Amino acid sequence: MTARLITEVALIGLRRMWHAKLELLLVFVVPVVFFTIFAMIFTGGVGSGRTTKIKLAVENLDRGAVGEQLTERLAASDAVRIVDGLEGADDPLDRARDAVLHGQAAVSLVVPEGWTASLEAGAPERLFLLYDSSDQVAPKVMTALVQETIGAILTDRAAERAETLAAQGVRAPTPPPLPAVDAIDLLAEGKANPTVAMYAAGIAVMFLLFSATGAAGSLLEEEETQTLERLLASRLTMSHVLAGKWLQLTLVGAVQVSVMFAWAQIAFGLDVLRRLDGFLIMTVTTAAAAAALALLLAAACRTRAQLNAVSVILVLTMSALGGSMIPRYLMSESMQQYGRVTFNAWAIDGYTKLFWRDQPTVELWPELAVMAGSAVVMLVVARGLATRWESA
Amino acid sequence: MSHVLAVEQLAKSYGSRRALDGVSFEAGPGELLGLLGPNGAGKTTLIRCLTGRVKPDAGIITLLGRPLPRRGGRERLGFVPQELGVYPDLTTRENLHAFGVFNGLRGVRLRERITWALEWTGLADRAGDLPKNFSGGMKRRVNIACGVLHEPQVLLLDEPTVGVDPQSRERIFAMIETLREAGTTVLLTTHHLEEAEQRCDRIVVIDHGRVIAQGTLNELIDATVGPNRLATVRLVQPLPLHATESIQLEWSPVNGSANGHGAEPRVLRTQITSVADELPRMLESVARFGGEVRDVEVQSPNLQSVFLHLTGRELRE
Repeated sequence: MTARLITEVALIGLRRMWHAKLELLLVFVVPVVFFTIFAMIFTGGVGSGRTTKIKLAVENLDRGAVGEQLTERLAASDAVRIVDGLEGADDPLDRARDAVLHGQAAVSLVVPEGWTASLEAGAPERLFLLYDSSDQVAPKVMTALVQETIGAILTDRAAERAETLAAQGVRAPTPPPLPAVDAIDLLAEGKANPTVAMYAAGIAVMFLLFSATGAAGSLLEEEETQTLERLLASRLTMSHVLAGKWLQLTLVGAVQVSVMFAWAQIAFGLDVLRRLDGFLIMTVTTAAAAAALALLLAAACRTRAQLNAVSVILVLTMSALGGSMIPRYLMSESMQQYGRVTFNAWAIDGYTKLFWRDQPTVELWPELAVMAGSAVVMLVVARGLATRWESA
Repeated sequence: MSHVLAVEQLAKSYGSRRALDGVSFEAGPGELLGLLGPNGAGKTTLIRCLTGRVKPDAGIITLLGRPLPRRGGRERLGFVPQELGVYPDLTTRENLHAFGVFNGLRGVRLRERITWALEWTGLADRAGDLPKNFSGGMKRRVNIACGVLHEPQVLLLDEPTVGVDPQSRERIFAMIETLREAGTTVLLTTHHLEEAEQRCDRIVVIDHGRVIAQGTLNELIDATVGPNRLATVRLVQPLPLHATESIQLEWSPVNGSANGHGAEPRVLRTQITSVADELPRMLESVARFGGEVRDVEVQSPNLQSVFLHLTGRELRE
């Protein structure tokens, strides 16, 4: 009898699950989707086995053969993608610096003038690697790769020369010493750990989306309890209701993100107050966009359970693709491009510009434009969907 | 102006199903009009047409002499939904404030009306408490108060006493009575027949999207079951068929009862004009045929018999 009772309880649970299709989706499909996303992030594509290439800008001021060879071999490396067509300053050193500062390249390699000659003279000049330490992988890999490549070039050249000299009966000279590679972090000076700014933004936006979609569910709750019907029977219109909720969600979201960054300042030394104007603009815009998305989802869903399931799937997917969970620089080029359809990516890019790259507030315009524009579009669509509550 | 609210030939279909099929009725100033009908009769659709939530396919709703527009123009209308349409996690006062503002009240007038509503509902001492912690009756009172703060000329009350104990029900109707005294017209949908019978000035019976009867209780009775009493005689054993037929010749059966040997062969149910005169004769006839009476019930015509007569079914839920 006891076994029968226990079995019946289990069967009830299974039957209820079967009737709740969204729950089935959460249990069985979402994990597979997430596995796929993360697999794509780390492999560059389903089954491709490719890893992310480091974007390298090269300013070769050397006119010599070794400098040329170094550039060619690095370009041929599987680990590197040479960034072409650097724009900006006339001075090559400034161009190399700007490429990193503006995020065009993860690392810039500067080969100084007369470097080959200095090698041959036995007093090699230093090479310079300019990097942004918010990417914690690329500088280390590039330093090792440059040293390895130079070593290989010099060894090859020494072997060739030894062969020629041996034919002449002359003993080969000692190979020149390896040149030093100076890695220079362009952005870290006087700042908190770069990952603090990135993760403060990433985590803040992810939870902003979660809390906004949760709060937007009040719309469905009001529908279920006939409160919405009563509101619409008063002087309120559906536009008033949506605008009021959007305002509430935006305010709460802005405060939520501010609390996160205030803590980042107190506990981790992120200097928020230094860029307060840009921070406020970014935060209000991000919160406004998240609020609009939340209202759109609430207007599109029929029940709170449906909203919860859809928002969990969407927010987690956006957070995974957009860099809230894993830095986007670790992702393949294509995945980084996919990530740009998410708020997370735009918001993280905006906050990174402010707190890491120290770019002027006006440089936030692409991020602000994308988020503000999409907020307007989503509000309009949400208003359209909400007409179903107004009339039947 | 004789009518505060008038509904003319209101129609609404959902696909092939006609939820409202030419509904017409009026309500006068200070009148308590009961809207009665079984589930699926069209009451909710009608209320939603009045609140503007549903767009009728045809027909006109006139409020205070002016046709109601598709949206808006309902400032003089109050609506109290069947569900607890207030915010359970706002205090009573906060709820009243919110719905007062939504209905156009501001400043001193709003504060006066909130004070009035708290007194009116008897919840002045619970103004700072959350409705979610209230009893069912108290929640209902808050629900109603939020719908009348702006002193509407017409109040739509959708099942205001569902799940409420008799004491709270009395309280709610006492509240409604004060509104009527102040001239508010109340349209009340209810499943409680005795509630409609005792409280409403007039009753509109709606079924299959149509008004099948309307009037005062007496008018409805006269138009349907008539003023006769309903006599029900329950027997220990069924009478022989010829005996039942003989009795039927003298007293006509009601709704298939007092029939041959139908669904209730031990029950004789018939209408009688004079209890003192006809009932003893009927019992004598039963005894003459060897019947043994278990009990006798004489029922005055009421809304239940009217409803049964009109719809052929009991009103449930």
